[in-house]
Amino acid sequence: MDIIISDNWLRDFLITKATPYEISKYVSLCGPSIEKIKKVEGDTLYYVEVTTNRVDCVGVYGFAREVAAILPRFGIPARLKEFNPKISKKTVGNLPFIIEPDHKLVKRTIGVVLTNIKNQKTPKWMQKRLIESGVRSLNAIVDITNYVMLETGHPSHAFDYDLIKHKKFVIRESKKGEALTTFDGKRYELQGGDIVFDDGDGEIIDLPGIMGTKNSVVGSDTKRVFFFIDNNEPSKIRNTSMRYGIRTVAATINEKGVDAELGMKALLRGIELYQTICGANISSKIYDDYPNPYKSKKITTDISFISKSLGVDISKKDISKYLTSLGFDPKWNNDVISVTIPSFRSEDINIPEDLIEEIARLYGYHNLPSTLMRGEIPYQISNSLYEFEWKIKNILKALGAIEVYTLSLVPKNFNNDSPSLKLKNPLGIESKFLRNNLSNSLSEIVRQNSGNYEKLFFYEIANVYLPKNDNLPEEKRIIGTVFDGYRFSEIKGLLETLFLNELHIKIEFIKRKTNQNIDIVSNNTMLGTLLETDDDITTIEFELKILHKLYKEFPAFKPIPKYPPQIEDLTIKVPVGLEIGKIIKSIKESSEFISDIELHDIYNNRFTFRIGYQNPKDNLTDKEIDVIRKKIFDKLAADYNIQNEV
Amino acid sequence: MKDELNNLKNNALGQIIEAHDVSSLEDLRISYLGRNGKINELTKEFKNLEITERKEVGILLNDVKKTIEEAILNKLKELKVLTNKEWFDYTIPGKKIELGHIHPISYAIFDISNIFEHIGFSRVSYPEVEWDWYAFGALNFPRSHPARDDWETFFVDAKPHPKYGEMLLTPHTSSGQIREMERVKTPPIRMINIAKCYRRQSDVSHYPMFHQFEGLVVDEGINITHLKGTLDYFARSFYGPDIKTRIRPYHFQFTEPSFEVDFSCTICKGVGCKLCKEGWLEMGGAGMVHPNVMKACNIDPKKYSGFAFGWGVERVLMMKPGLNIPDLRQLYSTDIRYLKQF
Repeated sequence: MDIIISDNWLRDFLITKATPYEISKYVSLCGPSIEKIKKVEGDTLYYVEVTTNRVDCVGVYGFAREVAAILPRFGIPARLKEFNPKISKKTVGNLPFIIEPDHKLVKRTIGVVLTNIKNQKTPKWMQKRLIESGVRSLNAIVDITNYVMLETGHPSHAFDYDLIKHKKFVIRESKKGEALTTFDGKRYELQGGDIVFDDGDGEIIDLPGIMGTKNSVVGSDTKRVFFFIDNNEPSKIRNTSMRYGIRTVAATINEKGVDAELGMKALLRGIELYQTICGANISSKIYDDYPNPYKSKKITTDISFISKSLGVDISKKDISKYLTSLGFDPKWNNDVISVTIPSFRSEDINIPEDLIEEIARLYGYHNLPSTLMRGEIPYQISNSLYEFEWKIKNILKALGAIEVYTLSLVPKNFNNDSPSLKLKNPLGIESKFLRNNLSNSLSEIVRQNSGNYEKLFFYEIANVYLPKNDNLPEEKRIIGTVFDGYRFSEIKGLLETLFLNELHIKIEFIKRKTNQNIDIVSNNTMLGTLLETDDDITTIEFELKILHKLYKEFPAFKPIPKYPPQIEDLTIKVPVGLEIGKIIKSIKESSEFISDIELHDIYNNRFTFRIGYQNPKDNLTDKEIDVIRKKIFDKLAADYNIQNEV
Repeated sequence: MKDELNNLKNNALGQIIEAHDVSSLEDLRISYLGRNGKINELTKEFKNLEITERKEVGILLNDVKKTIEEAILNKLKELKVLTNKEWFDYTIPGKKIELGHIHPISYAIFDISNIFEHIGFSRVSYPEVEWDWYAFGALNFPRSHPARDDWETFFVDAKPHPKYGEMLLTPHTSSGQIREMERVKTPPIRMINIAKCYRRQSDVSHYPMFHQFEGLVVDEGINITHLKGTLDYFARSFYGPDIKTRIRPYHFQFTEPSFEVDFSCTICKGVGCKLCKEGWLEMGGAGMVHPNVMKACNIDPKKYSGFAFGWGVERVLMMKPGLNIPDLRQLYSTDIRYLKQF
């Protein structure tokens, strides 16, 4: 979470000559990250990112502790002052109250009644500090609760004592359908399971740890205050706060789990401020329900583990110095170190590796050397599929294709009839389904680009997700291609170039009898089908693995013919409706000396074929070529009744 | 005769220089060097020379012949150049070939993959659709961790696994660490997992889908210095030899210690600019593999140790100086006018 700490406030607890710039530079290297510092009138502000495991740094005091430990590592002396609120113990009266805590919901509850609230005006210095820290100033009573929270790191709350009907606080879980109105006037209907305070009659008088309610809020009329410190179950605070979208500073702190040991210090500090600023009197006993106080724990490790983990040797003296400065209590017994963990780090420090982090960061990560691994190189698994995919991308680039990345999550109508998976919590219905094909995503991109091209050839190589009963889906890697503005012969030519010339995979285009779709087949393996949308966009998908299996890195070398072919153009009038493939097949079959047939030109329905005549054993004479030519036309006449017009 | 030869030479050279076309040059050649040319005429008078003179004059004659030949050749070249030099317009726009385009993300993945394969990492691509165990459970996330909320992670509407929990779209390639440790079983392990991840945020600078690359090294005696070494190696390979790296404290559930990794700003070279923080750019996270994670994969954390890092492919790509892409959403644009630029 991001917090703002005032330099002036920090120096209430930190004695050092370090400048704010130095503090921000050095602390960022060894502790919480200070994103920036900002000079304001009479102060400097630190913008600090506190990671979720370091809620102990969220309060000014906790942050001061970090700074005091880190600065000396850079040769700058620094000392942390003790946190000792001074209160007057004089009690005026003994007002009653009853608290019924639920220990599954709250770890500790502390409360006291304060009366004689005279001055409701927050002093300027406190207002300034609150506002600089990003918290509004309302009135002295509320401001003090926020001040205590920002200074100690433990949130606190004040109720108007006179608004509490029976002076009773029952801590329980909310029931579904119950409602409350927070002090800013917003009404919420609860889903159940939230921690709430009940006034004994079923009315909710607080959403603890998050926000106060209107019916118990302090205002300008408040004369008597019930000052309250509760330490709540963090995951419940998070659920409630997120579920209703009430993201207060108190909530973001509480959901990380605050050290309950801080509770009493926070209460005393609050009392001190209420006494000095508001002239308040203590008017009750101090209630403190804390059934399971922190039991100190020890973690043990040894010097060799520390050296091994860091990669450098550090003296036992230095290790102790670093740990002590952070609030730990280390004791050496020969090479074994036993470290007592303070309450404010107890959630975070559990295993020796956690201690390694503390030692290493104070030693300074920047002081560690940098070396590559020297051990055995693991057995290398094949990466040929990745290399194949890269090869295909380069071929497609040469063929004029543009690579695109589209979102794997699609609307329902993008998926074809095959089964598909959907999300429980999509961002919207447009991205609810895991796609089982690429064609629809690609066609959509083509439509979106309308007007910006004459011819378009896009492709994407990505996974599609095919459900598999109770298992994870199969993630099939597909090459999806889409064409618009290309003639069929051009698409066919590009694919033939890709497969025949570059991947050395023999392919045929075959029309399916059942639905007239055109399939691309290699021997008997189906590679892909040409699909056309209603708006004439062509898509074809191929499975990467199948192509990879058929792929040959090199074709077999064919010796260069001793006797080169002789080339002749023959123009043939082809009856309408007769497939050219059939003509080419007939010509090829008419003689063994036909080495090549290429379609060279089309005019009306006259097709000019460029034919290569070749005898591998000898040059063909003109007479021999005449014979071959006659055979061609004889066959064409016999098969299709085509006459030689010449 | 010597004088005659020298005069001949000078006359010849003078005439050659003056020659203005190929045919007059040819005439000169015949006149001086031809069968009945002036040189040969002089040669006939050799017999009138003293024997002692003949050698010297012979040499001079050959020299003169050579000089005239060369002069004719050079002049010929000069004349040829002048006649061949037709005027042509070199400013005419070139006829470019329209090639296709490979996406910058693909180039980045290719480069990253190669950099790590060079030092013995195995390239893998682990599932995008995962079980909770691989994405969170085995990675030491407690049940109630915010990342497991359904505000942050996409969950699939499918039957949960009795052992591995809910089906989800992995929010990080760290799930690959578990997959790899299960696959290899016994270290050494060096993995580079590059795959798509999904996070439930979509705003001006975020896209719900992106790519990460995750590195994992597990072996005996691996420590923080090896992590630093690997980061330096990657940074230098990807951005050039002048780049500097640093690691600072951070927090991840699956590493201890955890680090934030910074690179010296590629745009201002560490001086400080609008894009960076005092000359440093945040690249991503890293850390020493948490012993709980290794235990979850049946690797003994007392014998082995490891480090891991996981960064955004798009992030490291966008930090390349001169690329100028403002944010991730732009990088995923499907507008042909953008795609054609690369």
